[in-house]
This record gives sequence, C-alpha cells and structure tokens, in this order.
Amino acid sequence: MRKYYLLLAAAVFLLTTWASAKDQPKFKSIEVKHFPNAEGVELPPEFSDFLYAELKETLQKKNLAEQLIGEDEVVDSADAAQSVILEGSVLEYKKGSVVKEQLTRGWGGGRSLTAHVKMLRRSNNEVMIDKDIKVGVPAMADPKHLARFLAGKIAGEMKHQDR
Amino acid sequence: MRVRNFPYRAFALPLLLLRFSAAADEPKPTPENTISIKLENEVKPQTFPRPIKFFIEKVVDRSGSPEPMRVIKERGGVFLDKQPPEIVQQALTDTLQNSNLLAADRASADYLLTVYLFHFGLGEGTGYEFFGKVDLNVVVKNVSTGKSSEITALGTSIQGAAVRKKNILKNIQANIDEALESALRNFLRGTKLRDAVVAPDAKPAAPPQASQILRFVARPLKGRYDHA
Repeated sequence: MRKYYLLLAAAVFLLTTWASAKDQPKFKSIEVKHFPNAEGVELPPEFSDFLYAELKETLQKKNLAEQLIGEDEVVDSADAAQSVILEGSVLEYKKGSVVKEQLTRGWGGGRSLTAHVKMLRRSNNEVMIDKDIKVGVPAMADPKHLARFLAGKIAGEMKHQDR
Repeated sequence: MRVRNFPYRAFALPLLLLRFSAAADEPKPTPENTISIKLENEVKPQTFPRPIKFFIEKVVDRSGSPEPMRVIKERGGVFLDKQPPEIVQQALTDTLQNSNLLAADRASADYLLTVYLFHFGLGEGTGYEFFGKVDLNVVVKNVSTGKSSEITALGTSIQGAAVRKKNILKNIQANIDEALESALRNFLRGTKLRDAVVAPDAKPAAPPQASQILRFVARPLKGRYDHA
C-alpha cells in the first residue's frame, strides 16, 4: 500500500513540475520589429502595422515571453541574455487569381506570402532562427489574413526553439 | 410639359428619398454608444541619468479624419467622449506626473513636447477583429539648446470581434485603451527618447592637450632609446 502512495506522490510531483515548467515563459522579453517589404512587394499600406500587432498578440497568447516590448524600447541589461529580437522582411507576395483557383480546384492560384524571419539573442546577437516562411490563403480572402497565419507560424517556430 | 418631366421626377424622387434616409441613418453620439478611454495600467517610463522635466506644449490632431470622435459607423456607431488630442494629453500628463517627470510650467521644463496624432482609434483589419492603433509623432525640444528631435511611437492592439452591442463597446474600449498604453510605453521607454535626452547633454570629449600628444609620441621613442 505504501508503494502505491509513493508512486502516486511521485506522479503528482512530476505532473506539477511539468505543468509549472510548461507555464513558464521561454524568454524574458521579445522585441518585435516591423517587417519591411522587399523591393517590388505591393501590400496594403496597413499590412505592416497589422502584422506587427498580430505578432505581438500571438506571441502574448502563446505565453512565450514575460513581456512583449515594442520596437526600439529599452531592455534591462540583466535580462538581455534571455531576451530576443524578432525581425524580418516580406520577400514575396502573390495576389493570386480566383479563376486559376477555380480551375485548379484550390490547388493553385491562392494568395501567398513569403517572409524572411530572423530571431536574435539580445545580449550577443546570436542568430537563433534564420529562415524563410511561406503562408497562403484563398485568393478571395483579405491579404491581412496572411499576417495572421504568418504570425502563427513564427510563434510556432519560436516555441520549438531552444532558450 | 408636366407629362414630359414626369419620368425624370419619378427617377429623382427615390434617389432623394434614399439620400434623406441615409442622412437619417447617420449615427449620433448618445450615452449608450459613447466610450471613455483611460489608461488602465500605469506606464513606467525609462530611468534617465539625471532628473529631467517635460512639459506638454500641445497635442495636434493630424489624422485628417472629418469625425475624429466616431470610432465606427456600423451598428449605430461608437463614439469617444472626448477629442483624441484631449485623451492623449490627459494620458501623457498623468503618466509623466506619476513618474515625477512633469514640469509645473513651461519655464521650469527641460524638454518641451509637441505631440502630433496621426491615428487614434481602429485601424483597418480583416473584419473579424478590432484592430486598435495609436500612432504618435512627438517633437522633443531641448529648452536650453533649442535642438529638436522627432520620435515616432506606435501602439497596437487586437481584440476579437463581438456580436452584441454591449460587447462591441467593451472590446473597442479595451482595444483603444491598450493601443494608447502601448504607444505611450513605446515613446517613454524608447531608445529614441533616451538618445534625444541623453545625447545633447553628453559633453564632447575634450581635445587632447599638447602635452598628452607629446607623451603619446614620445612613449615608443623613450622605450627605444632609454636602454641604449
């Protein structure tokens, strides 16, 4: 009987430790920067601010950092080693074609966006993420939906990144 | 003559009626559709190397909106209880006062702030959410040197859309509150403000004295010829 109690206590201990580790944010702070458009990329004027807002909102929801700071805000030097900067640029945007989408039954012709994303450690500028991310939505959808999907994908990448 | 004009009148009358009905549909501010924007959380500015005081000279609306107090037109409209510059001035005054950074008057200030408000309210979203946006451009003028620096600050917030009018008001209010708070934090904790405030006061390094130059030049020579 004592064995069972011990096993139960160990299980409870492990579960609570796992839960508390899961709840802890990964970083002290994340600074989100605006993503500029590469030459020739034509997106709605509000897109950049909307993507910035979406990124902040998504990272907040995913509880990735203790605080999400705006662009160019000061950070306590003590927190710099556990703080990151998220920056990037929009490399390509395809408006898509409704006709092509209909003809290919949704296999092609949708809106798509490719962004280059970089995550740097604040203290030593160590590159933690450096990759291109592509997202797509149907051609009829508002291009700002791309911002939402891109923010979600970036948050996913950051979540699986080591501290 | 009357008969000849009849088709035109018959065509114009519905258009006129439509125009008047549209004018009647224009939402008007009432206590039920008016929201009040106040900072919910205190914004803590960065710490400066020496005690300084700011004075808010004026807040100018540069949004170009014909109805700056109307946030949305749909669903009977949502309105602000004050003009956006008033809201921003109040929020910035309170924040500076709480941090002991507000000068009592213009004469006792180290820096004068002129705030240009480029956007206050909701931005263009996808339609499935409320996208709050406050876009400021602050001109920080050093009273002693007369030098000015321009600082941009952006605050954003995204809240889910709502169906009930009560929830729409609540979400929009929370959204603009958060965007305003975020914009003020972006300004007061920004590196640009730190640079604007610290840089002019940082004394340029004194030019090296002639004796120092001679000592620098002479050092290798001294080592080379001493033992000789």
